[in-house]
Amino acid sequence: MNVTGWQQLLLVCAVTAVLAPLLGRYLAATFRGGAAPGDRIFAPVERAVYRVLRVDPESSMTWQVYAIAVLVFGLLSSLLLYAILRLQGVLPLNPARAPGMSPLLAFNTAISFITGTNWQAYEGETQASYLGDMAGLVVAQFTAAAVGLAVALAVVRGLAGSSRRIGNFWADLTRSLVRVFVPLSILGALVLVSQGAVQNFTGFRTASTLAGASQQIPGGPVASMEVIKLLGTNGGSMYGAGGAHPFENPTGFTNLFELLLVIVLPFAIVFMFGRLIGRRRQALAIVAVMAVIFLGHTMVAMQAELHGNHLLPASVSQLASGTSPGGNMEGKETRFGPSGSALMTVGTMGTTAGATDSALDSYTPVGGTASFVAILLGEISPGGDGGGLYGILVLALLSVFIAGLMVGRTPEFLGKKIRAPQMKLIVAYVLTIPVVVLVFGSMSAVLGAGTRSILNPGMHGLTEITYAYASVAQNNGSAFAGLAANTPWYDITLGITMLIGRFAPIILALAIAGSLAGARVHARTRATLDTAGPTFAAFLTGVIVIVGGLIYFPMLILGPVGERIVG
Amino acid sequence: MIRSGFLRQASASVAMLAVVTLALGFGYPLAVTGISQLFFRHQANGSLIYAHGKLAGSALLGQSFADAKGNPLPRYFQPRPSAAGTGYDGASSGASNLGPSNPLLIGFVAGVNTVGLDGQPSVANPFATPADPACVPLDPGGNPVTSPAPGQRYAKTASGAYECDPNTIPERALAYRLFNNLPAGAAVPVDAVTASASGLDPDISVANALDQVPRVARARHLPVSRVLALVHQYTSAAQWGFLSEPAVNVLELNLALDGQR
Repeated sequence: MNVTGWQQLLLVCAVTAVLAPLLGRYLAATFRGGAAPGDRIFAPVERAVYRVLRVDPESSMTWQVYAIAVLVFGLLSSLLLYAILRLQGVLPLNPARAPGMSPLLAFNTAISFITGTNWQAYEGETQASYLGDMAGLVVAQFTAAAVGLAVALAVVRGLAGSSRRIGNFWADLTRSLVRVFVPLSILGALVLVSQGAVQNFTGFRTASTLAGASQQIPGGPVASMEVIKLLGTNGGSMYGAGGAHPFENPTGFTNLFELLLVIVLPFAIVFMFGRLIGRRRQALAIVAVMAVIFLGHTMVAMQAELHGNHLLPASVSQLASGTSPGGNMEGKETRFGPSGSALMTVGTMGTTAGATDSALDSYTPVGGTASFVAILLGEISPGGDGGGLYGILVLALLSVFIAGLMVGRTPEFLGKKIRAPQMKLIVAYVLTIPVVVLVFGSMSAVLGAGTRSILNPGMHGLTEITYAYASVAQNNGSAFAGLAANTPWYDITLGITMLIGRFAPIILALAIAGSLAGARVHARTRATLDTAGPTFAAFLTGVIVIVGGLIYFPMLILGPVGERIVG
Repeated sequence: MIRSGFLRQASASVAMLAVVTLALGFGYPLAVTGISQLFFRHQANGSLIYAHGKLAGSALLGQSFADAKGNPLPRYFQPRPSAAGTGYDGASSGASNLGPSNPLLIGFVAGVNTVGLDGQPSVANPFATPADPACVPLDPGGNPVTSPAPGQRYAKTASGAYECDPNTIPERALAYRLFNNLPAGAAVPVDAVTASASGLDPDISVANALDQVPRVARARHLPVSRVLALVHQYTSAAQWGFLSEPAVNVLELNLALDGQR
């Protein structure tokens, strides 16, 4: 890494270290119940929403009812989004004349945005209307993020609370939107516009270029989508090039600002967790684990991309200097250079955003592997909004169990004993996604319907396929974009993968929390395993790496590792 | 009991979808658009640049400076290669997505991805030409051939050598040296031979701009010092010293050059 890279990384770490605890404090005050900051503005809005919904925000749900509410809302949201995408061709606000999407593409896209994956099999500029973007996709980006946060709140109440009931889904959803996502989005969008992100309804304008040709200049309500794409750890952009497009990410400042929009909130949610359970040391231990893994994959990628592609002719200068960014510049923007590109792109890979400002398919094998590994470790560095927290809590329960076996104690987390019923659910949680990824990935590597879509031959092709399934299963949505994914095979199997990858973990996490809700809290004794100290943090990191590593190691060897060795 | 639970959640879902579609799908983007148009009108509309009263482009989007046949115009600074459509297509942003060992990107590099005339892996590149040892051949239709097969026909130059795919990095480096009168083997800045992520990169590196100065000066019959001064004038330093890389905005520089006449 060079000086620029270190400075950018340090700035990101410093801003996160300041903002995440502050935002966590605000979140805890917001979701603790009772009076909360900003009540004078927000409370009347919430009361109006509850009246329209005809729900009582104070009536707490069992985990089963909570899960049913999540599923029913997800199903109906998908149907509405599907209808909008199918019909966008005849609906207004369509200056680029995007036709209605085909049934399979609309199916894939609707699921993709409802699950927060934001895998984009369609072409942003020409296959989605402004109405489809605004009223369809952006709405889904807001609700997907708020659902994630709501589920995390319910899981925390189950793990730590003394009641069998774990909160009201509609109240959690409404409060998340009204008090967190909407105000932060409006602020963030204006910051982006001030730097050059566009926000208009003019459609394409035609410019007469200096060379005497013409160029189509796109428009659209871009900043308002860009901000919730990032803040909601969604990842879906208005334009094909995503976060690399100068109208979405115009300057070096917006590049780091966009990364911060992604990672600060998931870290803040962990700090909120610490305050809600009254054990702030526990939150610090979890934040430390997330931060170590975040720094690991991000710094490896920054170094690899700065070092460049050793297969280029020696006379092509990849040395960074005051007059040239150097490094592996294929698929990267000049203003970001290799360090800023890898920092932003791979920095978001440990979340469910998968927002990129550079082309992952053209990353060096080492840089590409770093981003792949961030996804395979389960996206807990720092994870999606809410998903990061309940994901790492499940892994913490697993670690407590393993540690308990090693020292011969009954495993216990937050004073509650972990027994066989919980362990069955935890193992199911850990195995669901790898099974789906490896089964569909293997089928695609064998079937002609899968291999025909590969752009880059050989080992890189296997990486393209398996990355696609891992990315959508973890609701990341970034792509080794050479893969031609808008085919019936990929539209359908990736759609199924996204559904399982989103809702199976939600149901299992709620079930685990429900099974612990109301369980007896044991007093802490000298024999209790300390789950907030550095020993446990190191142990948890090890479990995350070993579980992720063992499951995916053979596939990584055949893909990117092999490509690096042979090349 | 379960059934009534479903129905209650379903009716709340429908109401919630109506609320969020109206408030977040319309209210929110319209509010952001309104405030943006009020306070940041220029940026919100795309940082548009007008020349002689006509829309000439956007300061944030690169454009092509080639003639109708696709040949680069010597009197303009040239942007990076672009994978957006046929080059700098604003309706089709995107990257090449070529992997780091793909022959279409790096050519046939001996011992890495080379294949024989029969399509089987080989140690050396049978298509190597004196100028380009990594040459990827073209078929008579002008398409690159990466999986050769017996009986495949290739395009040849008058001297009998293989014609090479002009879009590999080694070929782009050769063309860059030729276009800018650089000696054989001269170092070429990496951004000059690689496609950007958006295909609309407005910038080139300072090193890339400096390499092009003598050519542009000659084509315009301007003193080199004058062109050099313009390059320095349109070089933006790194934002805050480290947030971005120093870069030269190609469209703004070329507009300034046209203003010199």
